[in-house]
Amino acid sequence: MTPLVEIKDLKKYHPLRQGYIFSKRRGEVRAVDGVSFSISEGETLGLVGESGCGKSTLGRTILRLEEPDSGSIVFRSEDITHIKAKDMKWWRKEAQMVFQDPKNSLDPRMTVGNSIEEALIIHDMGDQKKRERRVKELMIKVGLEPDLMARYPHELSGGQQQRIGIARALAVNPKLIVADEPVSALDVSVQAQILNLLADLKKELGLSYLFIAHNLWVIRYISDRVAIMYLGKIVELADKKELFRSPLHPYTEALLSALPGKKDRIILKGEVPSPVDPPSGCRFHPRCPRRFDRCEREEPELKDICKGHFVMCHLY
Amino acid sequence: MRLAAYYWERTKRQRPAMAGLAFIIFLIILAVSGPFFTVSPTQVNFDEKNIPPPGFTLEQSIYNASSGGFVTTVQRGTWEHPLGTDGMGRDMLAMLISGARVSLLVGLLATGIAIIIGALIGITSAYFGGAMDSVLMRATDIFMTFPFLLLLILIVYLFGSSLTLIIMAIGLTGWTGTARLVRSETLSLRTREFIMASKALGASHLRIIFYHLLPNTLSSIIVLATLSIPGAILAEAALSFIGLGDPQVASWGNILNAGQGSLQTAWWVAVEPGMMLFFTVLAFNFMGEGMREAFEPGGD
Repeated sequence: MTPLVEIKDLKKYHPLRQGYIFSKRRGEVRAVDGVSFSISEGETLGLVGESGCGKSTLGRTILRLEEPDSGSIVFRSEDITHIKAKDMKWWRKEAQMVFQDPKNSLDPRMTVGNSIEEALIIHDMGDQKKRERRVKELMIKVGLEPDLMARYPHELSGGQQQRIGIARALAVNPKLIVADEPVSALDVSVQAQILNLLADLKKELGLSYLFIAHNLWVIRYISDRVAIMYLGKIVELADKKELFRSPLHPYTEALLSALPGKKDRIILKGEVPSPVDPPSGCRFHPRCPRRFDRCEREEPELKDICKGHFVMCHLY
Repeated sequence: MRLAAYYWERTKRQRPAMAGLAFIIFLIILAVSGPFFTVSPTQVNFDEKNIPPPGFTLEQSIYNASSGGFVTTVQRGTWEHPLGTDGMGRDMLAMLISGARVSLLVGLLATGIAIIIGALIGITSAYFGGAMDSVLMRATDIFMTFPFLLLLILIVYLFGSSLTLIIMAIGLTGWTGTARLVRSETLSLRTREFIMASKALGASHLRIIFYHLLPNTLSSIIVLATLSIPGAILAEAALSFIGLGDPQVASWGNILNAGQGSLQTAWWVAVEPGMMLFFTVLAFNFMGEGMREAFEPGGD
């Protein structure tokens, strides 16, 4: 499989400032701190991590909704890391986002049809008649009655709102969709519907997903490969089956042991350290049940252990 | 449009707001149609000065040259001048209607100017943030601390008094509150996901500002505008009251100013424009409050 997007050593630090005109830099939040991976055509990469580990920032930075500090983002041999806002329109058509909170992701003062149509207007896709037809098509595609297009977001249910959000993302015929916890705000029964919709759309339209979630069940259901993120870094990346069968990184082991039905639950000590001042050496070492001397001093690299099973740990 | 209908339904339930609205509509009809049924508000008639409204009397001691003493005469109100006349025999009703026109003009235009400037500055400031925000907000602070009445007096002193100038001056100094409100609303909107969704779609700054941020702050802007109209009306009245108004037009402030000297005898000359000011300000406030209540999110 050829990579659709390739990310190399991507970094995004949020500066902590005080004041504006005479601002002082008071350190920075290392939200994304040297992340590399690629997503193949037609693949779903699941990205798991605790809240605050930088997974949402990573998704937004790849879409260039936030400016990367260093590293590179390459889409089909086209480097988009530093393209300027005015040259970004084509990239906006290739990559779209589905958001966590469906209610918040729709403008409350716009009919949902207009929200979808906005995508078509921005990219000059057809006259009014054609656009209206396309909006109806998209609504049918995401499993909604086209009559709902005249409604306002607050008149729809959470699931319907999220379908609109998906239709809006699909309007420009993107190849890559970053789904930032798209089901975590929904009822469990609705979650399954939306996940099935996303899976069907992927098959039908040949999409690739970067699927961000903290729910392991969801990740297991939708992903082809899974990346585990901890404090701004990807600590393990592998094929889904491989990862769930034989997790290597102690953090992954702990996460998976929390799934119901597992014996020997590993309880991690302490809290996630602050990304402003991450621990020396391996970032996980203060909480790691299997740490040794080297972990404190030396930062491990992300190594390919066997056939695409990457892990960032001194044990291997 | 269905949203507008929805808010109208909710505003309709606010009784004070509806009373205010009724008064304002009544005032607008009077102001527009007044010239067709009243005499000229500037028509002076010294034979008919200080006539009280019908039902009231005014006792006046007039020096009678032929008898060499004071004679007490009783001035009775007539229906020819339903609100009486002032010290120069001008019809009070005609003057009050002319004043209504002035006050509404000042209130609406000055507030319009202030709201447009304030909304643009507030949105720009919050949306672009950083240095832009600092500069614009410090400018707003400076404008806010500047003594507004003093500035108006200075402008009138420098450029002479005309209604246009007064409207401009009130509008150009009154935008600070709007700027702050719109800024704070925009700050919270800016981080909402639907703004990010538009950015992800490739929407331009102008599109985001005019299609998303502005419509979402509009209800607060309308409420604030309604609540600022009385301020503008009172500012004009205050200027006129201290003698800096446009002398060419009969505004409530001018009439108040003229009437204050004869408060003990011809009390209606001052009381009538005062009452008009009071009720107009009250009407706009009721209406603004009612709309604020109706636009409140989450209510019913």
